[in-house]
Amino acid sequence: MIKIEGLTKNYGTNPVLRGVNLHLQTGEFVTLVGNNGAGKTTLLRIIATLLSPTAGQVSVGGWALPKQSARVRQHLGMVSHQALLYGDLTAGENLTFFARLYELDNAEKRVERALKTVGLFARKRDTVASFSRGMVQRLTIARATLHEPEVLLLDEPYTGLDQDASHLLDDLLRRESENGRTILMITHDLTHGLNLCDRTVILNRGKIAYEVDSQSITPSQFLKIYTNHTRKK
Amino acid sequence: MKPTTSSFFSTAWTIAWKDLQIEKHTRQIMSVMVMFSLVTVVMFNFALETNLDAARNVATGLLWATILLAGTLGLNRTMAVERENQAMDTLLMAPINRNAIYAGKVLSTTIFTLALELILVLLFIVFFNKPLWRPPVLLILFLGTIGYVAAGVLIASMSIQTRARDVLLPVLLLPLSLPLVLPAAMATAAYMFPQQPLFAEVQTPIMLIMLYDALMLTAGFTTYHYIVES
Repeated sequence: MIKIEGLTKNYGTNPVLRGVNLHLQTGEFVTLVGNNGAGKTTLLRIIATLLSPTAGQVSVGGWALPKQSARVRQHLGMVSHQALLYGDLTAGENLTFFARLYELDNAEKRVERALKTVGLFARKRDTVASFSRGMVQRLTIARATLHEPEVLLLDEPYTGLDQDASHLLDDLLRRESENGRTILMITHDLTHGLNLCDRTVILNRGKIAYEVDSQSITPSQFLKIYTNHTRKK
Repeated sequence: MKPTTSSFFSTAWTIAWKDLQIEKHTRQIMSVMVMFSLVTVVMFNFALETNLDAARNVATGLLWATILLAGTLGLNRTMAVERENQAMDTLLMAPINRNAIYAGKVLSTTIFTLALELILVLLFIVFFNKPLWRPPVLLILFLGTIGYVAAGVLIASMSIQTRARDVLLPVLLLPLSLPLVLPAAMATAAYMFPQQPLFAEVQTPIMLIMLYDALMLTAGFTTYHYIVES
């Protein structure tokens, strides 16, 4: 579903990604971990069509980026630590706005169903600014999956969430994964990442340093490997 | 999704609808612009109180100056909602024509500015006793607003990405608006006498306003794509 080959991205003369190769199968859940500045968010933003690569090939669903960005966009959903929502609109208005942008059929029913799925239907008429961090994140997932994208990109979705909200987010992500979505998640929470996903990848200084089947390794073993790979030399 | 003309207009309207809904909840844009305009008109009135004839002579220039200054406040705010929570990313990730975002922003900001102008016209009639409520004057205001907003949304989209956004917008936009404001103020002033002018007398300034509108809209539609992606 996602193919990345020899991806390089420079900001000016500063290389952020240096020849990244990564393939995600359809329906696979991959977690990307790494220190701050490793290039994780840059990688995600390139896949999200928000940045153009300096060199290398990236394709989503067979469509090459950035040439066929317009085709790729309708198959992508993104959840970030930023809400990507309008705080002064109500939950219902936010989702209705995105349903109209994506020209979705039965927009009203979809919005209602999405709000029920994330447990926010009762707060449909409240502005997002009045929501707690956990509620905002649930609404963000509803927004990102409203158009039923094949690929879900998550950029540190657990930032600022308490235990209950984290568990709720876990459940939502598991459900999305079971629904066959291809998920690429960036997180600093190694245990969360390892528990939820099929494969975990360490990105270090703009390069893939290590990847492992998440079921084949314990959190403590992975932590040791992670520390070895990301230790500053 | 096929990019059709109808989907372009419906997307532009959806984006404008979103801005109008936000304004319905917050009333931030209109309240700030109207308060600023009210204070400015009252200040002008007091400053020129001793010479009412002079005040009347410069009233149309003051009207356009107030529109420009109050307009920058509105422009800053309409673009700021896209910056908060990085909402602009969701627009850029949506399978829509980038120019539809520009068209939507121009549409919503034009609606806010026209609403402000209606209030300003009434204020200027009260404070300066000028016959501003005339169809040709309202048409000049409408035409001038389109050009001003078309340039404003373009500049605001650039300046909003910088740290000095609050300062940068007026610094860039006000000089860029001069070729619009001068003919607009001249054309408006021509209608401030009991006897209305012949169209031939105002033809040149009105043509200049329309040319400015066309230039700014063309610049907007050809460069907005690059501005938001850079």
